[in-house]
Amino acid sequence: MSARALGRLLVTWVLATAVACVVVHRAFALDVDEAQPREVIASVWREGRVVARAVVTRAGEHAASLDEAASASGATLVYESVVAEGPVVVWPEAALSLSFVPGRDGLSATFAGRTTYVTPDDLLAKQAYDHGITLSSMQITTGLDLPLALAAATEALGVSARDLLEHGVLRRIRVTRTVAGASVPRAITADSLDASEVRRAAVAMGRYLARGVDEDGRFRYLVNAPTNQTLPGYDWPRHAGATYFVAQIAGLTGDADVGFAALRAGALLRDHALLHCGDLRCIGEEDSPVADVGSTALAVLAFVELARTHLDDGYALLVPELTAFLRAQQRADGELMHLYDRRAKRPVDVQLLYYSGEAAFALSRAHGLLGDARDLAAAVRALEHLIGPAWSFFGSQYYWGEEHWTCQAMDDLWDRAPASTRETALEFCLGWQAYGRQLMYGPDDSPLDADGAYGVGPIVTPHLTPVGSRSEAGLATLEAARRAGRPGEELAVLDRQMRRSLAMLLRHQLPGRAYLFVDPTAIDGAMPGSEVDWQLRIDYAQHTGSALVRWLALTPTPTSVSAPGDNK
Amino acid sequence: MLSRRAALVFGIADLLTAAAVGLGVFVALPARWWPVDSAAAVLTVLEVAAGAALLSRATWGERAARAASAVALALGLFLVTVLAATASWLSGVYGPVGAGGAIILTLVAVMALPYLVVLPVVELVWLQPPPRAGG
Repeated sequence: MSARALGRLLVTWVLATAVACVVVHRAFALDVDEAQPREVIASVWREGRVVARAVVTRAGEHAASLDEAASASGATLVYESVVAEGPVVVWPEAALSLSFVPGRDGLSATFAGRTTYVTPDDLLAKQAYDHGITLSSMQITTGLDLPLALAAATEALGVSARDLLEHGVLRRIRVTRTVAGASVPRAITADSLDASEVRRAAVAMGRYLARGVDEDGRFRYLVNAPTNQTLPGYDWPRHAGATYFVAQIAGLTGDADVGFAALRAGALLRDHALLHCGDLRCIGEEDSPVADVGSTALAVLAFVELARTHLDDGYALLVPELTAFLRAQQRADGELMHLYDRRAKRPVDVQLLYYSGEAAFALSRAHGLLGDARDLAAAVRALEHLIGPAWSFFGSQYYWGEEHWTCQAMDDLWDRAPASTRETALEFCLGWQAYGRQLMYGPDDSPLDADGAYGVGPIVTPHLTPVGSRSEAGLATLEAARRAGRPGEELAVLDRQMRRSLAMLLRHQLPGRAYLFVDPTAIDGAMPGSEVDWQLRIDYAQHTGSALVRWLALTPTPTSVSAPGDNK
Repeated sequence: MLSRRAALVFGIADLLTAAAVGLGVFVALPARWWPVDSAAAVLTVLEVAAGAALLSRATWGERAARAASAVALALGLFLVTVLAATASWLSGVYGPVGAGGAIILTLVAVMALPYLVVLPVVELVWLQPPPRAGG
């Protein structure tokens, strides 16, 4: 082929590809018309289930079957107006699974002249979003759970899924919701965020966790919110972290029920997880040969908080035994050996995510309570390692991980660490937050309510817990930066970043659309995994709640300074 | 006849392309899918053969390089078209893809371009058989 012919081929290819892109985009983009809904699906929900449904022409229209069902106690009438619809790709299956925007798009299925709808509310109640495709290596689960979604359609149409896929027509529908008799709640934004709202949300999170503490002191570790079922699994580090947060809320409110819950949870740690690690004490499972630094560090945080808030001063007596274990796990360079072999009675020099930062923070908090200089020295050495050798590699100035304890330790140590250490730590933490801003969704970056969340691309629904934990660290950084006398413009940027994140978290606090839950009061105040993932693990509320408590404790400064670079 | 220097450059480039395709598909991709795997396997074998033949100055080296380049170009153009259409589909379904999403999609496309479009075009132009004598 001559060079001229090759050139012509490439030009033709560029033009053809451009045309193909335009055609594909236009074919699948929705033409949303909220003023003229195509159809309105009216559903009566009761205890998380649809008890009556009819297709009507406009929101507010009455139908006998709906009115009767809606008059029952605890029933909610919801109108989902179909404001747009469009085609879907049915092959490959992954493309079909990815053809629906989580929480926004539902499915219409037509077979032999009959049409049924599987609405976004149906899919949320079934927890079908973000359960379609799992990429284990990237720890991502995305897309619609097709068997679950199709089952709802095939059941209504009386056909098999295979028949529906081969001979039926599937389309995606975009809906807007109207709840009969309910006013539209005011959206919480970065600008509207205020202390009373944040306090209310934090207390609700604490009360949610406290309600789940049983008489033995065990949390409802993992809950499927729509059905209010407790799922299997447990974990001491998260138990300790949740205890720390519940104690924070007890201290903030003086609520006796929350305080007793914190004490029961603390007692479980003390009576059932406090082990011998050689001559010292640590936290772990009695029948496990290995104990870890993370469980012990978070237990120190919990015990310090129980003592600091005077829920039970006696917990202060346990702290020195545990910090002695943490110090014994520390290497000469400040790094910690994260595991301990209880049979061989020696540390195992491996490093796991978060543990060193947790230990630095715990040692600092312990020193704040008891004043043992050895704890302070160990905390400072751990911090110096974390902001130095532990994060020093080619490209480390351009990349940060998810570790969110180091900056909390930096803030906690601010008045006690050497000036050079805290300045270096502050630079490290400000750099991490700046990196986070680059990964932050703006209001127009996603079809989801994601302004203030972290992530890339539209397909993966942003998870809320990383927002909560990064906010804990970001607010600690903001407080330290204020004490360091950083310029107002620099503070304003970080302040704005935190406000956007906290506002987003508050917008997603449950129960939200309460009618989709079997028992909305049981999950009131909880934090879900994401906008559409309504499994509730105890650390979800803990990280977000602790961030809110930090925001409430921030040194008050004017927030009217404009935020350069706040372009999202 | 291809110069020694050109044979060396194209030979190494073909081997690098084989490594990039082989590692990219069989190591970096998290799942196996026969259309992608088989195309990558064919291209890897062709590029290795072309690279080795050019470096060893085999008589069939230029023909092998032209064949490998033609296959690479066809696959590269198809891949970029599919990626671009996929991005268009995603933006149609989801609306805004955000700066992060756009950067990722662009990076993936740009990573394929040097190996699967630019290099094959240069090789195909450079390795054109000489025009036949008129008459």
